Amino acid sequence: MSTHRPVITPKEDHGPMQTGTGSAPVPVPATGDLSVPTYDLTGVSKVYGSGATGVEALSDIDLRVEQRDFLAIVGASGSGKTTLLQLLGALDRPSAGTVRCNGRDIQSMGEGELSRLRRDVIGFVFQQFNLIPTLTARQNVELVAASTEMPAAARAARAAELLDSVGLAAREGHLPSQLSGGEQQRVAIARALMNRPRVILADEPTGNLDSATGAEILALLQRVAADNHQTLVLITHEQAVTEAAPRVVTLRDGRLASDTRA
Amino acid sequence: MFHLSYMLAELRRRRGRTILTALGLAVGVALVVTVNAVSSGLDDAQQQVLAPLTGVGTDMTVTRPLAIGDDDGGVEDLTEAERQRLREQAGPGPGLNLRDLEPGTEFSTDTFSATRELTFDASQTADIAAIDGVEAAAGSLTLSANHVSGTVPEIDITQGGGPGGAPPQGAFGDSDITFESRSVTGVDQTLPDIAAVTPSQITDGDYFSATGSPRQAIVSTAYAGTEDVAVGDTISLGGTEFRVIGIASSPIGGTASDVYVKLATLQSVADFAGQINAVRVRATSGDVVPAVASSISAGFDGAQVTTAADLAERVGGSLEDTRELSSTLGTVLVIVGLVAAVLIASLLTLASVSKRVRELGTLKALGWSRGAVVRQISGESLIQGLLGGIAGAVVGVLASLAINASGWTLEASVADTTTAAAQSAAAPGGAPGGPFGLGQAAVTTGSEIVEISTTPSLSLILLAIGLAVLGGLIAGAAGSLRAARLRPAAALRTVE
Repeated sequence: MSTHRPVITPKEDHGPMQTGTGSAPVPVPATGDLSVPTYDLTGVSKVYGSGATGVEALSDIDLRVEQRDFLAIVGASGSGKTTLLQLLGALDRPSAGTVRCNGRDIQSMGEGELSRLRRDVIGFVFQQFNLIPTLTARQNVELVAASTEMPAAARAARAAELLDSVGLAAREGHLPSQLSGGEQQRVAIARALMNRPRVILADEPTGNLDSATGAEILALLQRVAADNHQTLVLITHEQAVTEAAPRVVTLRDGRLASDTRA
Repeated sequence: MFHLSYMLAELRRRRGRTILTALGLAVGVALVVTVNAVSSGLDDAQQQVLAPLTGVGTDMTVTRPLAIGDDDGGVEDLTEAERQRLREQAGPGPGLNLRDLEPGTEFSTDTFSATRELTFDASQTADIAAIDGVEAAAGSLTLSANHVSGTVPEIDITQGGGPGGAPPQGAFGDSDITFESRSVTGVDQTLPDIAAVTPSQITDGDYFSATGSPRQAIVSTAYAGTEDVAVGDTISLGGTEFRVIGIASSPIGGTASDVYVKLATLQSVADFAGQINAVRVRATSGDVVPAVASSISAGFDGAQVTTAADLAERVGGSLEDTRELSSTLGTVLVIVGLVAAVLIASLLTLASVSKRVRELGTLKALGWSRGAVVRQISGESLIQGLLGGIAGAVVGVLASLAINASGWTLEASVADTTTAAAQSAAAPGGAPGGPFGLGQAAVTTGSEIVEISTTPSLSLILLAIGLAVLGGLIAGAAGSLRAARLRPAAALRTVE
């Protein structure tokens, strides 16, 4: 288990980082307003293709995720977990129903707004880390703020601070290929925190790691989410992760099979 | 700075593809630089050949040529007015009528006669100089200085004899009568820059001085060589002695006479007072030359205005062939090369984007806007274009230097396009008779070897690099369109 502690100062009422792109930021309620859920899904369906060959990946999902929730989504392969996460991450739009993120219907958002939502409100952690192989650890963390007007010095300083908080201060100049799987996922977590998002969406974050390293990563995710008052949504099929989550949503054949709280 | 680092890092990662793309663009740019440098070198070579035709600072030459009609040409086609004019121009000398002399009598006579260019009043120079767009005009008079000597033969020469079959110089048939003719041009030495012979042509001795003796002469290098004349020697023209003060080159294509004297002197000794047969004109700018030429033609009956463009048509040989090749095949080659380079670069960029679908999907998932992704791809392509442009420019310059070092030479030939009919114009009808009309100033025909020197201009190099950058941007646009259409969810599902 890692002994590193995030050094990010928790702020009770901080909103998502306003990175000032020159375009209007996505309006989100302050974190102090806990009455607005992070996600509110109503009758959501997702069909790939059309007509007789169409495949319904999700069917009539109703789901409400409160702010600061820690939620694990589980299910067999092909149950619709990844599709649901993509809808939550504003990477895709539902075929039917509404997906509200911080009170805003993503269906009504344009491409630019969706990009800003992903950049300012959501932090992604991928199973395969998805680091840019040609950039160093620090540059990978900076990447999400590169398209903002954050000054380069402030950007570099925050990236260094985040890498320090995940225990990689000494590795910030290394390329992904020079890092272990666990270290790469730490970099990915630091990257997800760069713009102080409201929610962290993690797709099988421990899936490519050994059990010990996976446990470290899970603990790290829990800790940074708690310290920064962030909502944490994980997709997993690992028992250890499920046991750690206070709320577990189970999908079966694209439908919500259960929603249990510890 | 971050974006630049990212672009450079990505280009380094795909080093082979980057080099291939840049090389493709470099080939196109190298073609542009080399072909244009060669084309420019060929133009310079043509100008080098043309310079003596046009004369230093002379934009056009006005003459009044003998008008010849219809297909066959020759004196038969001349109008009576033209024949009369020719008779008047045949020269005021005593002529040569051997019937008045007893056989065995020795004789010697010197005359001046007009050449194929009819004379006109010297006041035309002032009229032309007054035309809008004319900066300066200088008149000149070119005549044949003829010397016939020998003994009257015991033959019947009542049949006369036109110049058609007469040799221009040497023995008169089997008799010991000799005929010598040489061209002599009177130049307005007060306007040396546009005179028929200019100070820059002097290879030995001096040019005419305003205060010097009126009996000064400058001879061409060709005449000096064949007649063994040197500076300081004395030559006789029409029985008048002239002192040779200079030797003038008469390069290929130049309108060269054997001897040059001051205009007023020639008019006086040849009894052509107030007469000239050519006006050399300098325009205020190259743009007005056509308009000035039209004005002169309109106001001067029978005038022929010859511009530098007309003279350029006389240049032929491998130089001209290569120029034509350069302007046609070279242009096609450049266009094909550039289009091919841009197509290759576009295809490689598209292939590169296809290989990076997951990476670009990640960027979008992390909040990069469509514009940011497009800028990233376009920026990489732009750098490739810049690299290709610089490499191509270097190759192009090296190719130009290699051409210069190889000592590439081409042949420029110059043909006299003026009709030869005038040479026999005065024959029938008994007008001047004899071989007059020869020895006139003429374009020096023949060929000259010209070394081609290519010098790519800085503006051309910058233009070529700009083309490569543009090619890179076009390639980038193709890749960017593909990248912009990527849906992040689909992109992230891609397995690489």
